Amino acid sequence: MPRASVVGAGMTKFGVHDSTLSELFAGAALSAFDDAGVGPDDVDALYFGNAMGGQTENDTHLAPKAASRIGLAGVPCQRYEDACATSANAFKNAVHAVETGVHDTVLVGGAERCTPVTGLGTDEMTRIFASASDRHYEQPTGLTFPGVFALLTKRHMHEYGTTEEQLAHVAVKNHANGQFNPNAHFGKETTVEEVLETPVIADPFRLMDCCPFSDGASAVVVTSTDRADSFDAPVDVSGVGHATDVVPLGAKPVPHHTQAARDAAAQAYDQSGTTADEMDLAEVHDCFTGAEIMASEAIGFFEDGEGGPAAEAGRSALDGDRPINPSGGLKAKGHPIGATGTAQIVELTEQLRGDAEDRQISGAEKALAHNLGGDAATTVVTVMEVRG
Amino acid sequence: MSALTHEQWAEALREGDLLGVTCTDCGRTYATPFLVCDECKSRDLERTALPREGVVYSETTIQVPPRDFDGPYQVGMVEVDGAKVMARLEGGAAIGDRVVFDDVLEEGGDPAPVFRVEE
Repeated sequence: MPRASVVGAGMTKFGVHDSTLSELFAGAALSAFDDAGVGPDDVDALYFGNAMGGQTENDTHLAPKAASRIGLAGVPCQRYEDACATSANAFKNAVHAVETGVHDTVLVGGAERCTPVTGLGTDEMTRIFASASDRHYEQPTGLTFPGVFALLTKRHMHEYGTTEEQLAHVAVKNHANGQFNPNAHFGKETTVEEVLETPVIADPFRLMDCCPFSDGASAVVVTSTDRADSFDAPVDVSGVGHATDVVPLGAKPVPHHTQAARDAAAQAYDQSGTTADEMDLAEVHDCFTGAEIMASEAIGFFEDGEGGPAAEAGRSALDGDRPINPSGGLKAKGHPIGATGTAQIVELTEQLRGDAEDRQISGAEKALAHNLGGDAATTVVTVMEVRG
Repeated sequence: MSALTHEQWAEALREGDLLGVTCTDCGRTYATPFLVCDECKSRDLERTALPREGVVYSETTIQVPPRDFDGPYQVGMVEVDGAKVMARLEGGAAIGDRVVFDDVLEEGGDPAPVFRVEE
């Protein structure tokens, strides 16, 4: 029994946008409205994600501001913040609201600006991103977010023999996929050799192992499974798992296991009555190449330690047996923090409708999204399926 | 009554002592304060002095630092008595190397431990 249905999906192109957060969100929201064939009068609530607007743009209380631009003022609006898993958490709560009858139809999405259009340079944005690490026991060391995932990935390399070349294969694949996504920030043919020639950011990560700073917004219209029958192209949400892990990193028994992702995936598979083997594709949180490898193991696509060799062998490519990040992922599509979670839902919706054009996974019927926040202490995993 | 507050942890660090908490029920040790044991959920945590020597669990060199820091520098997790503490590393430490707590860094406003590779 599905929990809810997505009946409309929209997103802006991810990249550089010199428009306000509310304008950005309106672009995605109105696309989602048009896709669903609804207007503001059909929507009962807004679940909005933005991670850092207070720090980056002195802009808070964003849910009613975003709602006001699109004729939604009046309905209950709420904002979520869970670092990079911000809008997946908004989505989880939206699904729960329509499932339990709190609301009939809701708009859920997110917006963020991370490029220098905010007036902030790399050092200031690096500091703001680092605010998601432990304030007292990690930030004083000068740890950055590339650093957080570098620490996890280096231990993974130590335990399993994962190589820098295998990491580079993830970047090559996701950039190749990004070419086929008109909303992607980047996308190009590149090679492992070219990736390995880019400057080091935090070893083992080079520039091409890291997702870009992006601006953008995404939105979906979620309704109850009963109401979904009256829409043209509903896609069912059959499971949403959400788990957290202890902070700081040092208190996690095995940090590179990303235990919250394993727990969230187990919940999502259990709710949907599915297994990893049944998934036709996954969108995972590849903020860094090593993060995709750890995610691919956490969601059960590959055995522990096999994520690197699988990427190298092309198993996670568009034509592989376990396609991962057909959208280009955070790596190539871009990562406007608060917009990333629902952008994954947009991609799942397009794939399961068969509308993903040159990046379409043929015959996709079940798909998974993995959106991770902070030092892997938050993860939301969603399973969506073609409507039966 | 907290076994260890951040203020006490930071003051001890500045004086050259690395403190943590140990769960008296399950025995797990943490290198930072907790009010409840993450492992067994007991509230019976007691303050513990962690050893000055540890082993590098993971490490990376930050080439692109945040505002207020000057890079490059090495950061890592150090295992001390079964707990892992985030620290600044000196001397080119690799995973598995023995390191010694011998300095405190205050670039970020709060103190952080500095561990150096053992000669």
